[in-house]
Amino acid sequence: MFKIIAVTACPTGIAHTYMAAEMLEKTAHEYPIQIIVETNGAMGTEQRLTKADIDSCDAVIIAADVSVEMNRFIGKPLIEVSVGEAIRNPKKLIQDAMDGLYKIYQG
Amino acid sequence: MKISELIDLPLIKLSLEAKSKDQVIKELSNILLDNKRISDLKLFIEDVYEREALGSTGIGFKIAIPHTKSKYVTKPSLVFGKSVNGIEYESLDGDPAELFFLIAMPEVGANTHLQALALLSRNLIHEEFREQLLEAKTKEEVLKILKAIDKT
Repeated sequence: MFKIIAVTACPTGIAHTYMAAEMLEKTAHEYPIQIIVETNGAMGTEQRLTKADIDSCDAVIIAADVSVEMNRFIGKPLIEVSVGEAIRNPKKLIQDAMDGLYKIYQG
Repeated sequence: MKISELIDLPLIKLSLEAKSKDQVIKELSNILLDNKRISDLKLFIEDVYEREALGSTGIGFKIAIPHTKSKYVTKPSLVFGKSVNGIEYESLDGDPAELFFLIAMPEVGANTHLQALALLSRNLIHEEFREQLLEAKTKEEVLKILKAIDKT
């Protein structure tokens, strides 16, 4: 099964981070594809992506309005968008991932 | 901490009078002041706008969720307001918002309410949950819908 991993993060870390996570999960389940979403919020990092998660994924979505630890994703097909974009257009993000439109992240 | 500890009937308003984003933030904040949840209206509102300046909290789907961590918050609180006609709120999808959640958190102290707020945010993504709130006719109904989050 196609596997996407994602990181969501926003300035206050109490609302958008979790809305974007839920939206990506909900949309992925419509396909279905596998998704794991790490949330970087006010409660800290939850569902932290493991090296195995990263190694085995087909695409990475970074939906964040604050900086995210990025070096771990070098070499993976990746897209960076605002957290709002993941709430607004989750289908396009996922479809583009499946269509292989993401660029390989070089660091 | 649970949603039921953040909100109660006096913090719910079913027919907001506000017609603009500024008015609705003021109207919701006034509810906090009336219920002694904040110590200073003007300065609290300034903190709310500090967050809005980073990007509107009108997330689309008829929802706005202004929120702040502010030293003028005396008790962590959630205010719910509904506008039948909708209010222009610089939303991500450009549509007016009808459901408003003002989240007021103290600047310091335990973060035990964050889990409940994260769950609220996650619930808002689901249409069935939003429909329940849009259709609720009484404050008691709204409270019941929101308290159901605690059981998930």
